[in-house]
Amino acid sequence: MSLAEATDEALVERVKRMAGMAREPFLPAAIDLLSGMSRAILADSETKLVPQYVALAYWMRGAAVKKLAKAFLNTIPDGEILAPRGLALHLPPTNVDTIFVYSWALSALAGNANVVRLPATLSPQAQSLLRVVSKTLADEQQAERNLFGTYDHGGETEREICRNVDLRIIWGGDAKVEKVSQIPIRPDGLTIGFPDRQSLTLISAAAYCSADDEARDDLAARLFNDAYWFDQMGCSSPRLIVWLGDNPECRDDLYNRLEAVIQQKSYIADPAVGMAKFGLANDFLAEGVAASARRYSNELQVAEVSQPKVALQRTTGGGFFGDAQILSLDEVRNFVSRKVQTITHFGFSHEELISLARSIAGVGGYRIVPVGEALQFESTWDGVPLLSHMTRRIVVR
Amino acid sequence: MIAQLEECLAATPYSLEPEARQRLMLEGLNALTAKHYERCLPYRRIIDGYWRGKTEFEEIGGAPYLPVSIFKTQIMQSVPDTEVRLTLTSSGTTGQAVSRIPLDAETSSIQQRALASSLRHVLGPDRLPMLVIDTDEVFKDPKMMSARGAGVLGLMRYGRTHSFALDAPLEPDIKGIRQFLDQLEGRPFFMFGFTFLVWTGFYEKLRKEGLDLSAGILIHSGGWKRMADRAVSNPVFRTALGQAFGLTRIHNFYGMVEQIGSIFLEGPDGLLYPPNFADVIVRDPRTLEPVPDGSTGLVQLLSLLPHSYPGHSILTEDLGVIERISDGADGWAGKGLRIEGRLPRSELRGCSDVIAMAA
Repeated sequence: MSLAEATDEALVERVKRMAGMAREPFLPAAIDLLSGMSRAILADSETKLVPQYVALAYWMRGAAVKKLAKAFLNTIPDGEILAPRGLALHLPPTNVDTIFVYSWALSALAGNANVVRLPATLSPQAQSLLRVVSKTLADEQQAERNLFGTYDHGGETEREICRNVDLRIIWGGDAKVEKVSQIPIRPDGLTIGFPDRQSLTLISAAAYCSADDEARDDLAARLFNDAYWFDQMGCSSPRLIVWLGDNPECRDDLYNRLEAVIQQKSYIADPAVGMAKFGLANDFLAEGVAASARRYSNELQVAEVSQPKVALQRTTGGGFFGDAQILSLDEVRNFVSRKVQTITHFGFSHEELISLARSIAGVGGYRIVPVGEALQFESTWDGVPLLSHMTRRIVVR
Repeated sequence: MIAQLEECLAATPYSLEPEARQRLMLEGLNALTAKHYERCLPYRRIIDGYWRGKTEFEEIGGAPYLPVSIFKTQIMQSVPDTEVRLTLTSSGTTGQAVSRIPLDAETSSIQQRALASSLRHVLGPDRLPMLVIDTDEVFKDPKMMSARGAGVLGLMRYGRTHSFALDAPLEPDIKGIRQFLDQLEGRPFFMFGFTFLVWTGFYEKLRKEGLDLSAGILIHSGGWKRMADRAVSNPVFRTALGQAFGLTRIHNFYGMVEQIGSIFLEGPDGLLYPPNFADVIVRDPRTLEPVPDGSTGLVQLLSLLPHSYPGHSILTEDLGVIERISDGADGWAGKGLRIEGRLPRSELRGCSDVIAMAA
């Protein structure tokens, strides 16, 4: 695999050659490639230490990928034959450094040739993941059909590349989706954009209060993973915690446990981020958005908000939570909007969640999953069944 | 005006030793906290929501503090709109939010009286002839009217028969400077300028001219960031000006628009001393607990001047160290502060990429 071609001209030539390299979806070679990569991530001395990468490897293991393929194939009617889209261009976000692999992996499974545009600078951690990805591609002799590299946005190179693209997947917010979408891809191509999203957590106060210490600590640990893995800046990272039912003691109890997890995991927020959080807490109070605020530590600040909708729109990341209370699940639709992506939950029955999904369906929301699974990538993302969009169909009669 | 401030202003400037100051500051801060709690709704909400509604404290370290950013995001005002005489704004680069500080007649006059008393401490009781280390364009040209212009104008009222040392392109007007000095025949005079301009526009260009400024008193401000880029520290600055011009009475000052009129002036030891009606606490940037003297931390500024807005206790984003506690034997009492720069900026990236569209 090549990180980038030596010149923009060479890059464009390479992309043109790749346009004819798509293959039948779900070939055993594609499944082997992903399971090989999964093993490589778990074996590498650097990547195996990063929890997000271990989660990625787990998602990509052979059995999981086969299950995913089978479930998807079951949805295809007789007389429709799956075909790849062709050449896919992935534009991953700069902050969540696993999306570039998830997005690529599904597309590779769908048989597409892939160009993944990486940010110009990668964190040392992301570099270690990229190193494992490249090595696996080379070992499995798949590097020719999969290019990870970078080029400038807005130039002729981007235009030339896009002319050959059948499928463009843009991650990284409203402005990026809008700007990148202006550049034409093939006339029959498809662009999927993943814009800005906000996420929240819903907890049943009654369920929390009746949970034992072990269950509460476990919830705090899962909440920590959801919120702190990407400094609370992922689209799926919860920034608002909503309690159904009133019980202030339970709320404080959860934040104390969360604070204990933060210390145990040695999560450190930069003091400047701590100041930004202190500033936002003061703003919320001054504006009457919050009635009280508490600084548990530099890493955890909580504002008890009476206007959850406002609290969802403003965040600093790095451990700032709005905390709101509702008396009925019907109230959720009052603050959910098209911007809301993931609602993680604790203490609700399946029926309650289904009815919650129905009640918010008209206003927003894309995932309702247990606390601890906020960042778990799935093949239906932001409501888009990705494998369906990454393939096309040939009708045979 | 609160009684404690009257008392502070009645004392010789920069003379209140820590113990007497502690008492006056504590009583004064409690009085101001209660006053603003009553008159400023956003402030009351903060005190209720973050400080449990408490407005009286047993030590100044316990007094509530606001993040300095709040003057950029909220209107913090403790007087009716009709009483606001002037709203000060901070300098800020384009696109950045600016602080807005509402002053009524009372606070504005308190502020001027307080500043005058601080400056008299180094300038003496009479207004002195003044050499401004800047160009007069800085406030004549409305396009240039900036924090720098406002600063120059603000200080000019403490001098008389003003001359300007620089011309419009910020080159020294050596003829004008010599003329100014010749007229004085060795009598004391006042100089004011922004630190960076004093260095680049004045010192670097005139150091070989053999100017005698030994009767001068220089007051300068503006921060050390651009000076640090040139590896010029405060001691280097002082030594260089002493050697080139015989200038020894040099006073840097530190203050911010959020506590206008409350200036920390540099004493002979190079440290910044709070006026009688002000104080400083240094806090750990992560825990926000006060640190022992001698340790670096976030600077919290206390001042009894702000009456029309709740700016009497502010947690800044500046880093500093209390190097010495002085009893005032040398004319400078209180905590001797050294500023070490700003808390390094760090913003977390969201799921929105900001992309620069290269041509």
